[in-house]
Amino acid sequence: MIYQQYRDFCEAARQRHVIFYYVGYFSQHIVGAMADALKLRLEVSGLAGPTRRKLFSSFVEMAQNIIHYSDDSLTPPDLDNHEVRHGSVCIGIENDQYYLLCANPIKRGLEATLRQTVEPLRTMTLEEIKQAYKEALRSESPVDSKGAGVGFLTMARDASEPLEFEFVPMPGEPDRSMFYIKAII
Amino acid sequence: MDDLYIAATPTSPEVDFRFSQNVLSLKGESYPENAAAFYSEVITQVRSWLASCQGQHIVVNVALAYFNSSSTKVLFNLFDAFNQAAMMGNQVTLNWYHDEEDDTILEFGQELHDDFGALDFHDHALSGA
Repeated sequence: MIYQQYRDFCEAARQRHVIFYYVGYFSQHIVGAMADALKLRLEVSGLAGPTRRKLFSSFVEMAQNIIHYSDDSLTPPDLDNHEVRHGSVCIGIENDQYYLLCANPIKRGLEATLRQTVEPLRTMTLEEIKQAYKEALRSESPVDSKGAGVGFLTMARDASEPLEFEFVPMPGEPDRSMFYIKAII
Repeated sequence: MDDLYIAATPTSPEVDFRFSQNVLSLKGESYPENAAAFYSEVITQVRSWLASCQGQHIVVNVALAYFNSSSTKVLFNLFDAFNQAAMMGNQVTLNWYHDEEDDTILEFGQELHDDFGALDFHDHALSGA
C-alpha cells in the first residue's frame, strides 16, 4: 500500500468515526492488550462512566466470543483454553451513539441456533432481558458453551437498541458463513 | 488448610483467601479466557474449607471492578457455597464493593442479597473508584 492509499484508508476511517478496529487472530493476551487500548481511549473520550463500562463490557463479550467460537481456528477445535481464532472488531460513532461491530466465520449449520438465541432478545424490553439474564445465571450452562450462555444477554443488556446480526455467505465456502453482530450502546 | 493466593493478572483478579484468618478477598478485574477453568480450583478449595467450618465468623471481601458474563456465572456458584455455609451455622459477612456509578455490579450485588439470604450482606459504594 503506497502512502496515498494508506492516507485514504485512514481518512475513510476518520470520516466514519471509527475509533478502534482490529482484524486478525484473537487470543486472551491480545484481547487483554486491546482492552487496555480501549480503556485509554475511553478515558480520554469524556464519556460518562456507565457508557464507558457498557462499551467495555460488550467489547469483551464480543472479543471472547471470537476466541471461543470463530470457525477459523489456529488451535485444535477441542481445546477450551489458550485458544486462538480469527475475527474482527470495530468500534465507532454513528448518529452520536457508540456502536460495536464484530465478525467471524461460523459453520452454516450454526446459523439456526444463533438466530434462535439472538432473535428473541431483539424484541425484549430491558426488564425482560434482565429477567432472562437472572434465569440464565441460575441455570446450568449449555453443554456446548465454554462461557455461561449469558454473553449475548450481557450485550443486549448493555445496548440501548436491539442487537443487530446477519449471516453473509462466504465466496467459495458453501459450508461457512460470516456472522456479524452489532450493538449500539 | 493452607491459605490460597493467586496474583492478579490484567484479566483475572487477585485471590487472597486467608483461610487461617477466616478472611477471603477477591479484587481486580475478572475476564479470564475460561472462567470455569480459572475458578474451579478456587471453588474446590473453598468448598473443602467451608466443610470444616463450624460456628465461625467468615468475612468475604469482593472488590471487582469488572467481570465478564462467564465469570458472573461462576461467581454465583461461589456465593452459593458461602450461603450454604451460612445456613450451616456460620456467620458469613459479604462486603460488596463497587463504583457508585456502576449499576451492573450494584444490581448483581442486590441479586446475591436476594438469592442468598443467609449472607450478612453489606453494600459499599465507592466514589471515583
